[in-house]
Amino acid sequence: MREDNDDYKFAACTFFAKDHPGETCGSNGLPLTPSSVTIIGQAQRLLILKHPNLCTYLDIIRCKHERIIVVAEVIGKSLKETKSKFSFEEIVNIGLQIANALNFLHKLDITHRTLSDDNILIDSNGQVKLFNYGMNYMTKEGNEVAFPIGIPRYFSPETILSGGGPSADVWSFGIILLELCIGKLWQNLKPGPILRRILTLVHAGNAAERIARENDYYDIYKQVPDYLKNIIEKCLKIYPSERATFEELVSELSCLNTKTHVEIKRVRGLMGCDLHVLYHLWQLAGGDVQAELKKNCLIKNSPPILSMPIAILLDGCTIGGKTGALFDRRIAKYSLDLLKLRLSHISPHDFYPLMHEKRKVYDAVTLPKIIRERDTEYQFYRLLWFQRLLKGYPHTAAYIRAEAEVDIPPLLRGDVWAALLGVCGDIESQYERIDKETPTPTDKQIDVDIPRCHQYCLLLCGEAGHRALKRLLKAWLLTNPQYVYWQGLDSLTAPFLFLNFCNEARAFACLQAFVPKFLHNFFLKDNSSVIKEYLAKFWQMAAFHEPELATHLHEINFVPELFAIPWFLTMFSHVFPLHKILHLWDALLVEGPSLPLFMGVGILRQLRDTLLSSGFNECILLSSDLPEIDIGECVKESINMCRSSPRSISYRRYTNEPAVKEPADDVVIPMETLFSEICPRISLSDFFSLVCQDKCCVIDIRSNLLYEKSCIEGSINVPYSGVQLGQHELRALGLRPQRVISEAVKQKKTVVVASAEDETAQLCEFFLGGFSLLASRRRSTSRPDMEGYFDNDLKDVFEADIDPVSRPCLIDIRYRLQVMSSYLTLGMIKMLFPLPREIAR
Amino acid sequence: MATNRTGGAQRPNGAPQTKVCQFKLVLLGESAVGKSSLVLRFVKGQFHEYQESTIGAAFLTQTVCLDDTTVKFEIWDTAGQERYHSLAPMYYRGAQAAIVVYDITNQDTFGRAKNWVKELQRQASPSIVIALAGNKSDLAAKRMVEFEEAQAYADENGLLFMETSAKTAMNVNDIFLAIANKLPKSESGGGAGGAGGARRLADGDTPRASSCCK
Repeated sequence: MREDNDDYKFAACTFFAKDHPGETCGSNGLPLTPSSVTIIGQAQRLLILKHPNLCTYLDIIRCKHERIIVVAEVIGKSLKETKSKFSFEEIVNIGLQIANALNFLHKLDITHRTLSDDNILIDSNGQVKLFNYGMNYMTKEGNEVAFPIGIPRYFSPETILSGGGPSADVWSFGIILLELCIGKLWQNLKPGPILRRILTLVHAGNAAERIARENDYYDIYKQVPDYLKNIIEKCLKIYPSERATFEELVSELSCLNTKTHVEIKRVRGLMGCDLHVLYHLWQLAGGDVQAELKKNCLIKNSPPILSMPIAILLDGCTIGGKTGALFDRRIAKYSLDLLKLRLSHISPHDFYPLMHEKRKVYDAVTLPKIIRERDTEYQFYRLLWFQRLLKGYPHTAAYIRAEAEVDIPPLLRGDVWAALLGVCGDIESQYERIDKETPTPTDKQIDVDIPRCHQYCLLLCGEAGHRALKRLLKAWLLTNPQYVYWQGLDSLTAPFLFLNFCNEARAFACLQAFVPKFLHNFFLKDNSSVIKEYLAKFWQMAAFHEPELATHLHEINFVPELFAIPWFLTMFSHVFPLHKILHLWDALLVEGPSLPLFMGVGILRQLRDTLLSSGFNECILLSSDLPEIDIGECVKESINMCRSSPRSISYRRYTNEPAVKEPADDVVIPMETLFSEICPRISLSDFFSLVCQDKCCVIDIRSNLLYEKSCIEGSINVPYSGVQLGQHELRALGLRPQRVISEAVKQKKTVVVASAEDETAQLCEFFLGGFSLLASRRRSTSRPDMEGYFDNDLKDVFEADIDPVSRPCLIDIRYRLQVMSSYLTLGMIKMLFPLPREIAR
Repeated sequence: MATNRTGGAQRPNGAPQTKVCQFKLVLLGESAVGKSSLVLRFVKGQFHEYQESTIGAAFLTQTVCLDDTTVKFEIWDTAGQERYHSLAPMYYRGAQAAIVVYDITNQDTFGRAKNWVKELQRQASPSIVIALAGNKSDLAAKRMVEFEEAQAYADENGLLFMETSAKTAMNVNDIFLAIANKLPKSESGGGAGGAGGARRLADGDTPRASSCCK
């Protein structure tokens, strides 16, 4: 018995969902949702139920031909298999545990309806758990399957007549207790006669006694102690309203219960892990739910020829058309040996990672994410560690973020995302309070969008998914009255619902936290300036990191307005399938709001070669149905770009980020200027740090007069007025600039173009702060003229020596570029210079 | 008005030369009437029950052969939601043809189609060929817009009219062919980017200036 417990932790049963007869289209012209999909959607709620007397549901799988497989925890044996007779004391204890479980289910509005001796499991310690108690719930009272659910002898009279409500469970419970006391009832009778017998009970005064007599158990029944008889009779009342409730039964049984529950020592090590984790690891280690069912003959593969259409002969005999059983009451148990073997070398110590311990580095870290997610051992360590961190949330928020940067175990993604978004507090009651039902004018649009939002996903395409998505959208719109429903909001909400299917409140809280962070003001009624700025910024990032490509795209007039709106408005959730979005957003949530800009560039980079060799039509076609984009690669590249770019170049006005305090960090420019500029601006402080690290090459394009008055050390002067723009080569800038720039490009330095700008006179005093910073760092500069300059009181220099118009001296850092030698085409030179575009042409 | 090129290749039937004309065509209409589905059926011969909503716009191309001409359609499939309305001019500006789509099972979408026609007549190029498509004709049992009503409206406004079904492919190619036939393919139409004959969206106006959602 003991061994049994260890070897088998979970089991599966299988059945077929109903086929839709005839009609295949609903009233909206869309295909009817298959019953199996409805069942999967409905069953999700069962997966999160936890109660000591219920076998935890682990998975609901949909297979070919509308087959459903239910995987759940198992323990010991069913009452049916148990041959030994129980003492009355034990019966009270078993009854109490069953009543506890059913009381729990009834409180959640779940009716069991299929309680029978083969789905009540008991182990050697007397622990009782109900197995597959959700059959009625997941099949919507049996409506989604073509077979009757439950075993007739446990049916209450009203169940037979009209389906029955929760009190039908009380009757079944009564029959179970009666059987435990006196023995199996109506043995050797077929279902028909049993049902008839039950219906005749309607006239009996005392149903329990009558049943006992009918089965020749009356003598035994008389010996049953009164307290038990009393309870049984309270359950077996003909009228459902007269029956006891489980709440009453629990309290009565607990008074009678003498057997104190043996406190079983919690299993340690692998077997002590959470069942969902075990099941997940078991699958990773090669566990195959279907294979085991086939081995146990619960799935029979018959050749197609045997499923011929039915032929009816003249004499009424039928040939062919035999279908397998729609429901098999048997279960297949799964052995965990494989997993145990796989993880046998892990020391017991590793099961309890400590926060302060230095984390081991696993070899797997270098592998692509998709492979890491399938590595049993790696996931084992990650899961344990993340579980530990999540228990400490929100205090461990910083740790979670750091670990999430490496990767997020898929099993815990919902929890980790919520933590990354800072979701905490009483989200349930907040969500509860929002009115999600009252119709609004937006409903019409939501109703047409939801049935086409990520419908390849089993969870989102069912009725349960549709309803939940609608509730989420309505709740969000109501909570954010400043925003309106833009198509695409549905796609944006979908990943959160997918990960938190049974925790709508958390899905909502995540969405609620996500939008202000990443899509601040995107859903305003008039979002034009927000989107315009975003796209302009995206285009500048493209010019910065992919100058050659950007030049080409500029030339063919392939502008982001034509293709990138769905990218950013939905943070790519309208563009990619869910499994790709999950990886994309993993990175997004860790890196923060400027990453999407670089992800856009990352996508372009992957299409680079094709785009470069294509004209407008081909480019736009390519971007409208994105071919196989490698998300792992895209994420990696975009993170690299994001981190290697000075922070200020991705600055946006329309964000929810705190405003810049340091004037030296400021890169605010009028929107009109932003739209006319191809390359991003950089803040003074970022510029200085580039200068100090010798990572940039400065081209000063003011007149040589101004340049001679004051300049940045090491900068080269290419006066704006002297450039021949018709020239295609770098040479056109002059010999020295050509040499310096080529050198800078070779060393992969950033090219910064500094120029005079009208407003700079007023900005001057802000810049002083920045200057002193530079001055203090570069005090030991070798150039004598500059040394003097920096050592002077800067304010004096500005006030005294330079006239107000030319004050800007070094500072109008307009553009900043990373330039590769081969990219220096005419287009690039155009971009280097802040010429109004008409002049450049 | 179209872009004309003389294709050098001999056609298999021995016809001496074929003209190649490019036309910009835009699809307009209320959301979920089946604009994207019509295009997908026409361009790729596919139909997706759960065609996802279009945000902004999508671009596709398809070529059809008439007797002596090859017509290349550059199709802009626009977003249906009213909120994206402000983007629409960017797509229909310079278009030589438009298909305004409504759903025969939904009277409101027909009303919206009429508004689109009005807007096109007012704002788009005066020579634009407009076709009205009553989509989802496979759902005739749930019809809310009578064929005659739509036909009468189309006649009044000089529109091509067909009831189509992207699902069954009924009339899908036909409506595009009808448009191709009606489009002027004169040699005198002028070259690429000629006045009124924008070869592509971006020609003429900078989309940047006119762009974006409102």
